[in-house]
Order: sequence, then structure tokens, then C-alpha cells
Amino acid sequence: MTAVDVYLQQAINGLSLGAMYSLLALGFTLVYGILELINFSHFNVFMVGSFIGLGMLELFGVMPNGAALTGFALVGVLLATFAVTMLGSGVLGVLIERVALRPLRNIRGPASMITTIGVSYVLFNVILLSVGADAKNFPSPLPSVSFAIGGAVLRLREILIWVISLGLMGGLTYFVQFTKMGKAMRATAQDPEAARMMGVEVDRVIITAFFLGSALAGAGGLMFGLYYNITSYVIGFQAGLRAFTAAVLGGIGNVPGAMLGGIIIGLIEAFASYGFTAFGEHWLGAKWADVIVFSILVLVLVFKPAGLLGRLAPNKS
Amino acid sequence: MLSRRSTLLAASAIAAVVGFSLPQAAHAADQVVKIGIDASLTGGDANEAELVKNGALMAIEEANAAHVVKGVKFEGYVLDDGTATAGQYDPAQAAINARKFVADKAVLGEVGPQMSGAAKAMIPIASWANLAMITESATNPAMTDPQNAAQYRPNGKPVFFRTVATDAYQGPNLANYFADTLKVKTLYVLDDSGAYGEGIADAFQAQAAKKGITLLGRDKLDPKAADYSAVLTKIKELNPDALFFGGVLQAGVKVVKQVYDILPHTMIKGGGDGLVGGEIFTAAGYPAAEGWYATQASPHVSDAANTKDFVAKYKAKFKMSPDDYTITAYDGTLVLIDSVKRVKEAGKPLTRENVRDMVATAKVPTLQGTVAFDENGDIQDKVISIFQAHDDKADTACKLEDASCQFKYIGVAPQS
Repeated sequence: MTAVDVYLQQAINGLSLGAMYSLLALGFTLVYGILELINFSHFNVFMVGSFIGLGMLELFGVMPNGAALTGFALVGVLLATFAVTMLGSGVLGVLIERVALRPLRNIRGPASMITTIGVSYVLFNVILLSVGADAKNFPSPLPSVSFAIGGAVLRLREILIWVISLGLMGGLTYFVQFTKMGKAMRATAQDPEAARMMGVEVDRVIITAFFLGSALAGAGGLMFGLYYNITSYVIGFQAGLRAFTAAVLGGIGNVPGAMLGGIIIGLIEAFASYGFTAFGEHWLGAKWADVIVFSILVLVLVFKPAGLLGRLAPNKS
Repeated sequence: MLSRRSTLLAASAIAAVVGFSLPQAAHAADQVVKIGIDASLTGGDANEAELVKNGALMAIEEANAAHVVKGVKFEGYVLDDGTATAGQYDPAQAAINARKFVADKAVLGEVGPQMSGAAKAMIPIASWANLAMITESATNPAMTDPQNAAQYRPNGKPVFFRTVATDAYQGPNLANYFADTLKVKTLYVLDDSGAYGEGIADAFQAQAAKKGITLLGRDKLDPKAADYSAVLTKIKELNPDALFFGGVLQAGVKVVKQVYDILPHTMIKGGGDGLVGGEIFTAAGYPAAEGWYATQASPHVSDAANTKDFVAKYKAKFKMSPDDYTITAYDGTLVLIDSVKRVKEAGKPLTRENVRDMVATAKVPTLQGTVAFDENGDIQDKVISIFQAHDDKADTACKLEDASCQFKYIGVAPQS
């Protein structure tokens, strides 16, 4: 591989990671935009999503290292799996809101945020106890097709992740910008009191935000499984923290910001893990990736708390 | 008022109860000696933990059934040093477990822990209590190195013994095999940032350098990260003859999987005993696992003739196939039981200190041969066995999750 090939390959790696982080970051941003709440249970909704996807694929008879599907069977299985996973995760998100968060909605202070951490641990341990601690082989129906671009390799699963992420993000943008519900969401995000007075049903808006965010997290979880062919009960924390960093980087509460932040964090992670050679030595490397990613979180919070695309919200209280 | 018949019935019932309970009453007078068993029962190494824990419990049960030590009833006291949050062994939990063992006066010895990272946290606590620990698989050499006496023997005498060899042999001996037999010229080394992973990777790397293998790079992986593609792309660019991974299964499974996706399939790949686990085959699976070399720091006896009875009994009892570390755990438990026996026979009081002294001078016939320790607590006969994963489709009896048959025995690694 030449140097150009390597950088191209790392860009492919980074974009695939970034696509997953973006989907996950959107969930943080949607909920934060409306409730000013960091929803830490989102981490593990992502993880649960990957297990729903695993269950669906097994239901369709797709086996680990089994024969790949092609044509209509592949498209059908993927569509159905994504639909069920997103629906399941979305409903989980709504349940979390309804059961754990709504009773706390009018309490000031960090009670809601701490509750989401609690919910996160409940999901984590429920999955640990029900499916066990060992990593699971994630069945993949994708044929192992790949394209060579110079020395770099672009695999079908990468293209699939990009296409699906782009589709979902486009759909979400359309929903938020051009539908009545989206308008209501934006209005609630700006000023819930005024929106309520204008006849917006704030409870429905909040439920919609939880449903959409969790459904995207579920799709992200399923893509994680399809991409790495593996899942386990611990995957939520790492991916979730990075996606949260992405949301903050892009400007939490800002939808395009979350997408941009996800892509940037994915690329940074890939290139930091690769490192670079200068002065006859190799610098950075895998052990530095976390340091760099989370330093960015700290630096953004200190120097540009509104993030790349966000605006500082007026103090709602 | 009782009828005659019911009186008779009642009388015979009482007789039965008394009859059965008499010998038990005699046993209840036996002194209970607890053997602590610590393994990583939660997380990435749970399957192997289950195997070794059962090995130790089986030795205890057999000793009780055969009344090996008169007046003593052994009990296993099982603790888990894995936590859900760590996803594998957790040194903080291991330290808590060590305190629990020490706090229970009936605990006179410990089998375990399974992991070096856990052992490092437990040994200082055990040392102050003179509690002998015999590990079946913690192979990091630092714990028995006399240079670290201040840390691991604060109370003077070593309390940490092993029925396996160490990574000071495991890493280098595999490096010898890579250089001599596989003719490896260039190498890339990865580890999982754990005590064990780092240690074995360092030892492998040092011996590889001595053997004239060129090191193209070294990286540490975060065991919780999902994506190693950036590092593996770098390795692809450098294109070494061989890749060595030092670490346990949490990272190992993902490494095996992604190496297959990214690196050329002809590259020679190997790791230590941390890779020997069913998850390599259930979670990473073939074809990704095909061809990976791995070692065990013990002689390969789980399909030797003298262990046939043991293996058959174990399979019948636990419905799992024992691996070599099941046997070293069983052997370690035998050593502890034998030490308790010799304390009794010498007419000394059953204290932790006396048991420790007997362990240090043990010479116990076990399944892997006679176990004796050197003055640092290391086993005297150090043997490293090499295995290679191979998908033998004809062998339908070998289940996918059974690492002891999926890894095919190659031979004893050359010692330098």
C-alpha cells in the first residue's frame, strides 16, 4: 500500500465509524434540543438495538458465517430487520421517557439526568443477565463484495452504512424542517411555554423526539453489528461516549451539527489510531485515540461551548 | 391416639432419621476448611472461568468423598472478580475478593485467580494474611519475581504459587517457534493494555529481537474499543510476516475478526493462552479463527492417557470439556488439600501460615505430573505447549465452543 492508499483507507474507516456516531449523536441532540436533558440511557438503547437486530436476523434464518443473501431476499431481510429494530428501539425510548423521565419533568436540577444513568445501567444489566457476558457472533446477510480503489479496499458493508446513514439523516432533516410535527419540535426547542400557548402538544413532541432518537440509535446498533459482525452487552458505553462527544462538538441541540460532529470524530479516531511518521519516528497510535477524542470534548466545552454549528441558547429558566 | 400401625410407622421413621443422621452428625464435627476460588466469571473470559472453577470444585468434592484428610471437610468458596462494567476481570473487584477470603477465618488457601491483572491486586492482601494462593493460569512473571518482593511479599515469604509456567517462557518460547520453525523475519506486536497482555507481548518481542526478527511496530489496543481497523490498516501497510497479539478475549475476539477482514490471510498470527477460549470460535468464528497460533503454559494433558478418567468424570458432571487450565486448577486444589493433610499429619495447628509452608515444600503427584515449586513460588517443570486453530469439518464431535479441541495441539515450544 502506498501512503495515499493508506490515507484513503483510513478515511473509509473513519467515515464508517463517523456514520454510526452521527446516528447516535442525533438522539442526544434531539432530546437535548427539546428538554435540555443529556439522555445517558441512549448509550444502551444503541446496544439493545443491536440485540434486537441480532434476534431478527436469526429469525430470518441468517446464520453467522452462513451463506450470504443476494437480490430481493437481501433487500427484504435488511429492510424488515431495520424496520423492526428501529421500531423496537423507538418504543423502548418512549417507554423510558414515559416511565422514568416524565414523573421528573418538572423537577429542577440534575434528577432527570441521573435517572437516565440509572436506566442505562438497568438496560445494561438486563441484557447481561438475559444473553450472557460473552460476545456474540453477529450474522451477516451481506455478500463479501469489495472494490479496490488503488490499494484501498471499499467493502459493500461500508457503502451500506453510508447509504443507510445518509438516508436516515436526510429523512430526519426533512421531518424536522418540513413537517408539522417537525415545526412543533423546533418551536418547542425554542420556547416550550410559548409553543404550548400556540397549541403545540408538548408531550407529543417530547415522545416523538425520544422515539426518533432511539430509533436512530437502534439503527446505529444494527449497523454496528452488521459492520463488525459482533456484539456484546458492553458496546454501548464506548460508542455512546464518542457520539456524545460528537454531539457536543457539533453543537448539542443542533441536528446538522450532530451529523457533522459524528463524521469528524470518526475521522479523528481513525487518523489518530493510525498516527503519522515524522522525524524518523511513528507518533500517536491506537492508545492515543481516546486521549485525543476526549481532549476535544474538554476543549470544546471550555472554548466553544456552543459547538461548531450551535448557538448559545438563551437561559430558559 | 396413635394406632399400633401408625406407632410402628412413626418409630421406623424416627429410626430412619436417626440412622441416616448419625454419620452426618459425626461429619458435622469435622473442621470445615474453606478453599477460596476466584475466577473471572463475568465478562469476556466467563467460559474459561467456569471450567477452572469446576475443576477446583471437583477436586474438593473428591477429597471429601474419599476422606483424604481425617477430621476435615473442605468447602469451595467461589468469588467472581469479573464485573459487568469492566466486561472482564476487574482488579478492584479482585482486591475486594481477597479481603473477603482473608476475613473468613475458615479460608486456609485460595485457588486462582485466573488472571494476572487480578492476581496483582490480590497478592499483597493475601501476603499480610499468609494466605497461600495457587493460580491455574495467571502467567505474568512479575508476581513471582524476587525483585518485586516489596510489592508481592510484604510479609516476607511468598504466598503466590503457580501450577503453570509464566509468560517469561510462554512469550519467548512461541517467539522461538516463530523464528525457528515458521521462519518469521518481520513482526508486528499488539497488546490489550492489560497486565498479562503487555507482559507477554514484551517477553515475546524481546525474544523475537534476540532471534533476529525485525520489529515493524507495536501498538496498545483499548480492550473496550470496537474498531481496530485503523491500526490494522497500518499493519497492512507495513506487511509483516507475522502478527503477535498479547491479551485476553475481550479484545482478542475483535482482533481475530478484524484481522481476517483487513490483513492478508497468509499472515502468521499468534497469541498466548489468553486467546484459548471458546469465544474465539463462537463470537469470531471460522474462517476468521483459522490458523491462529496460541500457547498454554502447561503440558498438554487434557487428552493424555492418564487424564482419561478425569476428563470423562468432568464431562459427565459438568457437561463441558475440560481444558489444560481446568487440569492445572484441579492440580492446584490437590496441592492445597495435600498441604492441609500434611499440616494435620505433622500435628501442627491448621493455620494459614502452616498451610503456606506446606505448599512451599509440596511435592504432589497430580494429573500434569509431580508439582513442586521453586523458592519464588513458580512451578519447577516449565512446559509451554503450542496449538493452532483449525476447522476440522470431519470432526463433528468437536463442538464450536470447545476451545480444547478446536485448538489442535502442535507440540512443545522450543525452550531457549
